[in-house]
Amino acid sequence: MRRLAPAGPELTIDFEGKPLPAREGEPAACALLAAGESVFSRSIKYHRPRGPFCMAASCSNCLVRIDGVPNRFACQVPVRAGMHIERQNAYPSVRVDVFSSIDWLFPKGMDHHSMFAGVPVAEKVMATVARHLAGLGLLPDAPPPAPRPPERISVDVAIVGAGAAGLAAAEVLVAGGLSPLLLEQEDRVGGRLVLDAPEGAEAAAPVTPHGVQLRLGTTVLGLYDDELGRVLLAVQRDGEGPRVLLVQAGAILFAVGGHASPVPFENNDIPGVFSGRAAADLLRRRRLLVGEAPVVLGEGPLLLPLVRMFQGEGAAPPVVLHTGSGAAPAGTVQGAPVRAHGRTWVHGLSYREAGGRERRVECDAVVVSLPPSPAFELLRQAGVKIAFRPELHTFAPEVEPEGRTAAAGIWAAGDLVRPGGAVAAAESGRRAARGILHP
Amino acid sequence: MSKTVLCPCEDVTLEDVRHAIDKGYRDIESIKRYTGFGTGLCQGKTCLSAVARTLAERTGASAGAVLPFTPRPPLHPVEMSLLASVPVDETRPPVGGVPPAIQLGSHALRPAEPVPAQARVVIVGGGIMGLALAHNLAKLGCTDVVVLERGYLCAGASGRNGGGVRMQWGTAINVELARRSIDLMKQFAGEMGINVWLRQGGYLFLARSEAIAERLRANAELQNKVGVKTQILSPGEGRDVVPELTMKGVVLCAYHPDDGVIFPWPFLWGYAQSAQKRGVRVETFTTVTGFETSGGRVRAVETDRGRIACETVVIAAGAWSPEVARLAGVKLPNEPHRHEILSTEPLKPFLTPLVTVLDSGLYFSQSMRGEIVGGMGDPREPAGMNMGSTLRFLSRFSRALTEQIPQLGQIKVLRQWAGCYDVTPDNNPVLGRTPGLPNMLQMSGFVGHGFMMAPAVAERMAAWMVNETRDELFTRFDLDRFRTGRLERETMIIG
Repeated sequence: MRRLAPAGPELTIDFEGKPLPAREGEPAACALLAAGESVFSRSIKYHRPRGPFCMAASCSNCLVRIDGVPNRFACQVPVRAGMHIERQNAYPSVRVDVFSSIDWLFPKGMDHHSMFAGVPVAEKVMATVARHLAGLGLLPDAPPPAPRPPERISVDVAIVGAGAAGLAAAEVLVAGGLSPLLLEQEDRVGGRLVLDAPEGAEAAAPVTPHGVQLRLGTTVLGLYDDELGRVLLAVQRDGEGPRVLLVQAGAILFAVGGHASPVPFENNDIPGVFSGRAAADLLRRRRLLVGEAPVVLGEGPLLLPLVRMFQGEGAAPPVVLHTGSGAAPAGTVQGAPVRAHGRTWVHGLSYREAGGRERRVECDAVVVSLPPSPAFELLRQAGVKIAFRPELHTFAPEVEPEGRTAAAGIWAAGDLVRPGGAVAAAESGRRAARGILHP
Repeated sequence: MSKTVLCPCEDVTLEDVRHAIDKGYRDIESIKRYTGFGTGLCQGKTCLSAVARTLAERTGASAGAVLPFTPRPPLHPVEMSLLASVPVDETRPPVGGVPPAIQLGSHALRPAEPVPAQARVVIVGGGIMGLALAHNLAKLGCTDVVVLERGYLCAGASGRNGGGVRMQWGTAINVELARRSIDLMKQFAGEMGINVWLRQGGYLFLARSEAIAERLRANAELQNKVGVKTQILSPGEGRDVVPELTMKGVVLCAYHPDDGVIFPWPFLWGYAQSAQKRGVRVETFTTVTGFETSGGRVRAVETDRGRIACETVVIAAGAWSPEVARLAGVKLPNEPHRHEILSTEPLKPFLTPLVTVLDSGLYFSQSMRGEIVGGMGDPREPAGMNMGSTLRFLSRFSRALTEQIPQLGQIKVLRQWAGCYDVTPDNNPVLGRTPGLPNMLQMSGFVGHGFMMAPAVAERMAAWMVNETRDELFTRFDLDRFRTGRLERETMIIG
């Protein structure tokens, strides 16, 4: 992991008693990675090493204890001078974790339902041991400071997600005379436009249309329908501390994109394996190169742009493994990953070629690029039907072409509906916005 | 050691998922419950599609038969201190809830083959009651039994409760049933070959008013009389049991160290497998559509997979029992009442007993996995079938919990869900024969404590059915009591 350029003024954080340099504005995960810390914590059952994978709070691989509060997403919490970060679930240390023996004792995994079931003494011992090994993190010592009071917002239209689809929709709505509320989890707009979209290089400076009420750092947590009426629950986190937002809107457009999915191969969970989006985010926004000699694997329209992105930064041409069913694009190898090698950081990947022969390449990162898995959760809460799409290997919501759903006033656009490029996402955002303006 | 991990939050591997599918857990909700995938910090964002793909590839299931599990709010972990800041209008009843509909029966997952044409006993409802009864019937040699379940096993209240088991009750009969159940729970793993993780950390009741304190005192006296050594503690002594409690507003505690918590789901699987091994048919994703009656008897049960002629039918459908009984023209006095519940991020163990404030209906315990699992009744909750989740509950619960343990305000809620209490006018169950339809047996109305009573009740009910021995349980709690007014009220209901 190499910093390509200094990003922001330097400050110092405390990592388990050790001072580490960090750059103002970056999330804690970046500071740890840049300082060469590969293992953030140990996993809950087998105590396997864990480090960042998705960089979008969609997985749990980067959890750490920050300033006494357990299970914080290191990929989301901006560093602050003097911030105290600790690893979790490792004894006596993350390098020498005695409980990582569990991983070796159960090479095939364990079925905790049948293990020692009814075996007189063993059963009791197992229950006691399991109870003490369970859990991540510790009860904090003190209550939190009182949060700021909740803010109620009432608007004609709320848009969730300020990526290509959300921004394009906002533009159409503003042109139509509305002043939509735009909620974005990150601290900047653009989503994939600034990350791994094929068209990213041209569209790298997304703009928020004038007239939009933009809330950055705002995570939508639920769409409730109760005595408050239909309400979006969101939490806005900025320098003044977190607060709840309760948003009521005549129409809600979900443009939340998708989650990074794992590709099944052995050791696909070890540090050094990143989602394509995480690698792109680290590179473009944080100026961190995940590896000097990475393997990039996956399928879909984002695979090759990602490779080009690495090459554009002067990285060695990566080995590219195409896992899709179609013909392997030029410059890629058709094959299936079998096993990542390494314990606390990946240092090699074995894969099976189309002909069946197994090969191994040395590498210092594995980047998995798949089309995102639609983040349908909020739509499901609104009552929208979700169906499995075998051709995409993911679930997707049932949405009409113009973005309308079966739930009144609930619209959807972008990767959430069908993973595609930023151009297609923007077009679907505009269609949905026109539908909202002229129902 | 090499592992292929599909759910990194809970360390669920590809092998684990395949193992569950091969054991017969063939829908996503069941695979989730068996393997634990999707129950960690990310709540399935990472792994759900990968598991669905594995299921489709392993079973050849059509796309229409691969359904996602219900995503539980909140979408991301959120601190209880923030949830507690959401205003609630306590003067109004709660309404709504998400998702608006929970699909229990499913056309897509319904087996294609018809149900057996006849059976000696048909049990409607594959929850803890029905499955425990099937197991006990089969043990007594009555194996010609079919259990009908509309959804997957664990879809109803049996899969939605907090797993508390206690002997602190307000009537001798309930103390006796609970004590027997806990004894049976201790033997469960040995008999069934599946762990249920009974942890006897005790139940600590808190009273905040003199009236509730008096109730705890009187009930403790009754419990001690029948050999359950409940102790009455001052708030200070209660804090020796759980030092983190503020005891704000608390005037008295009742503590019984042998009460505890269990993990509900394996009970259903264990009972189902034991019954199936002995020849019982457990038919999931099968909906009862009617009953054929003539001459004052039920002759057959009609389902969406055909008709089953039977000698006896048992209604053990929990909060759905009134709906099912109505199909035969039988009116039950039960009413469903939603109860909401949530689970937090897992913490290293610190909380030994289940703590409950009897005045407000707040209860919480720490599961074997380290999560704080808890709920709270809402005095304004209207009757009616509703399994939606509300923001109001998150706020009310977070406020009540952090009042007792303020540092939990830093702890994040991972998911919330709801189930229905099956409430009767006297808080006691409906058991025994149906007036006018003597071969329709009732086994419902357990008001939120059916799970902990089921092992003992099912044992006695099977013996009563097979051996035709007299058992006062099935006259004491029969339907007729609501006509004659011979009611004894249970007062130790949480929520």
